Amino acid sequence: MSQDKKMFIKALRKKFKETPEDMYTKYYIYNAWKQSARKREFFELSKKLAKQRGIPGYNPEVHLGSPMGQRVLMPYQLSGTDIYCEADDLHIINNAAMQQMWHDIRRTVISGLDAAHMVLQKRLGKEVTPETVNNYLEILNHALPGGAVVQEHMAEINPGLVSDCYVKVFTGDDELASEIDKRYVIDINKQFPAEQAKQLKAAVGKKLYQVCRMPTAVSMCCDGGTMARWAAMQISMSMIDAYKLMAGEAAVGEFAFAAKHAEVIEMGTLTPWRRARGPNEPGGVPLGYIADICQASRVKPDDPCWVSLEVISMGAVLYDQFWFGSYMSGGVGFTQYATCTYTDNVLDDYTYFAADYVKKKYGAYGKIKPSWDLIKDVSTEVSLYGLEQYEKFPALMETHFGGSQRAAVVAAAAGIGISLATGNSTAGINSWYLSQLLHKEDLGRLGFYGYDQQDQCGSSNSFSWRSDEGLPFNLRGVNYPNYALNVGHQSAHSGIVQAAHAGKGDAWTTNPLVKIAFADKSLVFDFTHPRLCFGKGALREFMPAGERTLIVPSK
Amino acid sequence: MTNYKPQFYPGTTTPSKNRRKYMDPSYKLQKLRTISDDDLVRIMGHRVPGEAYKSTHPPLEETGEPACPIREMVTPTPGAKAGDRIRYIQLTDSVYIAPVAPYVRAWMYHNRWRGTDVGVLSGRVPLEMRERDLEKVAKELVETEIFDPARTGIRGATVHGHALRLDENGMMFDAQRRYIFNKKTKEVDYVKDQVGVPLDKPIPLGKPIAEDELRKRTSEFHASFEPFRKDQELIEWVQRIHMLRTMAGNDPESIKGV
Repeated sequence: MSQDKKMFIKALRKKFKETPEDMYTKYYIYNAWKQSARKREFFELSKKLAKQRGIPGYNPEVHLGSPMGQRVLMPYQLSGTDIYCEADDLHIINNAAMQQMWHDIRRTVISGLDAAHMVLQKRLGKEVTPETVNNYLEILNHALPGGAVVQEHMAEINPGLVSDCYVKVFTGDDELASEIDKRYVIDINKQFPAEQAKQLKAAVGKKLYQVCRMPTAVSMCCDGGTMARWAAMQISMSMIDAYKLMAGEAAVGEFAFAAKHAEVIEMGTLTPWRRARGPNEPGGVPLGYIADICQASRVKPDDPCWVSLEVISMGAVLYDQFWFGSYMSGGVGFTQYATCTYTDNVLDDYTYFAADYVKKKYGAYGKIKPSWDLIKDVSTEVSLYGLEQYEKFPALMETHFGGSQRAAVVAAAAGIGISLATGNSTAGINSWYLSQLLHKEDLGRLGFYGYDQQDQCGSSNSFSWRSDEGLPFNLRGVNYPNYALNVGHQSAHSGIVQAAHAGKGDAWTTNPLVKIAFADKSLVFDFTHPRLCFGKGALREFMPAGERTLIVPSK
Repeated sequence: MTNYKPQFYPGTTTPSKNRRKYMDPSYKLQKLRTISDDDLVRIMGHRVPGEAYKSTHPPLEETGEPACPIREMVTPTPGAKAGDRIRYIQLTDSVYIAPVAPYVRAWMYHNRWRGTDVGVLSGRVPLEMRERDLEKVAKELVETEIFDPARTGIRGATVHGHALRLDENGMMFDAQRRYIFNKKTKEVDYVKDQVGVPLDKPIPLGKPIAEDELRKRTSEFHASFEPFRKDQELIEWVQRIHMLRTMAGNDPESIKGV
């Protein structure tokens, strides 16, 4: 590949005035933090706020030793887009699109309707038809956002505050789907390419599932554990209304049981006590779920690299920025390096290199049997390619100025290469670990202590079957013991899962229900193009849900 | 085991050979510069030159030791014996063929000195020891061939710079500007201590090591002069370790003939 064709060159030229190959530059001449428009904005605002509240706040001059900006405070390009922004714009608190992505995941609960329908028919002798289902869905779309359906004197929720709340259904049965009011249906045939739709419908069969989206406002005020409860309460009340049931008879409890336990699919499982969070929190979202939540695979099914990179961006925001960077630590530290996997087209370049290498040398994706020869060859070649780019382009080395950034990006490409070749994500993660060991010996350095501890013992747990280590890779996540502090890894890991399936043309990676649930145009965040959406958030062009303008004083 | 001879490190290239050399405690590190004890104490910033060592416990001979087979086997270092507090020196190594890379530094510390507590990050290596022991080791760290005033930095905080391009004088970036290139003397002067507190007077640490000399001494690979991919022996060693670890995690019985 010629130098100019490297995918990251454009971003490097925008970041620095020197050529990307230049090893020398000047420092201490950039007017410190004042070189950044965003930091100037923060400073001016902070001065006003300090007057208003009587307490000083943001002040970049208190930085230890000397203020930030002794070198170029570089802009970042959202990979796969033409959007450039400042690093500050990618902090989750400064980016409404990132927040909405997380809210849209957390406020989602999938719940089967078949158990409830069986109770209605066999125990209560009620008739269930497409008409009664439509009636039920109309009622639930009133009740789920906070409307009363049974009680005669109730406080209700202002619909303007919860306009993003609704319920839809899906089924693998085309005939049944066609009989349900289309406003309530996630139409698999319309949302997915034909081959993917076929796979998904076969997996779902004749079952009917409802996808409840609780209000973003509830997600902001409560937690992930609220969601199934909120859904179950309103589902039960709606069943009473739709099928004219006695409020409180034992059978009604079955609806709540089905919605809370028997037929519920939450996006994340509970986390252990030492990191205690309820279900539907980022720590419990498996890698395979984040891959399925991302909808890039139905937009460009023939570009498995692009699909994997889009998944990785969501993994970076969810796991690294929300979970590790905020739930587990807080503060400012994690944005700066979590963004390396989805900015400046660096990982894109390494990933397409890996894909080309596999295609040219082995002929196809998803069909090569995993073997040591294959893993050693692809992992080593891709890792050395990535590492050499840092050495050939000092501007690139400066872009990823932390070792954890470089380690994540290089190993991600190595893992994706093997996933693509074999269609096996566990072989993919094994390649990741070989890459990390090679990286450590090449540069004589890797990440920070908390970063590379896992990578130095990861080879041995990649194919382990021991009960506390042996989990198919798709089902791992930060809830997997050795990944509990695995900062900066899970983003790429979700891409390694995705690549194994994208290369084979699979419609989903881990759970077809999750994949279908997010094939929904009514969602606020655009799960088909997450990187573009994050970019819009950075440019302040993304409109989130959950705003409170209806109930606060106007300015 | 009596005939066991440590091999320290595999590889056929200059960086591998230098890693092997620096890790071998029988190899005497070559002294390239002199820094007075007092100046080193000033740069580290833990005590004023001449000030007594602060202690966290009385000398061991006063406190007495509980019956413990480990304590009987391990002779305390002078700092431990005296009850010194633990203090640190932290070094940053540029990726542009500095003499030592962070992991090499840690391996070297463990092989060469006792009583070390080392951490390795991509851009810095903290070394914590009893204070008087630390000062002795720090002297060797700064005066010998494993230190280049331009591409090795003594930094307690705000350490980033290892991966940044070099400045117009070939110096590694330091946001706190703890050291400056003195254009008159062509030497590097430290003007602040490890955490950036200004020193009363500049402390010269000598001239940067010349590029061709660095290439001979470095333990870092770089595509521009000695690429990692050239060291096939080292690459195969890494691949073998990875393969054995993987197999051991899956089914240790499957490993034969190791």
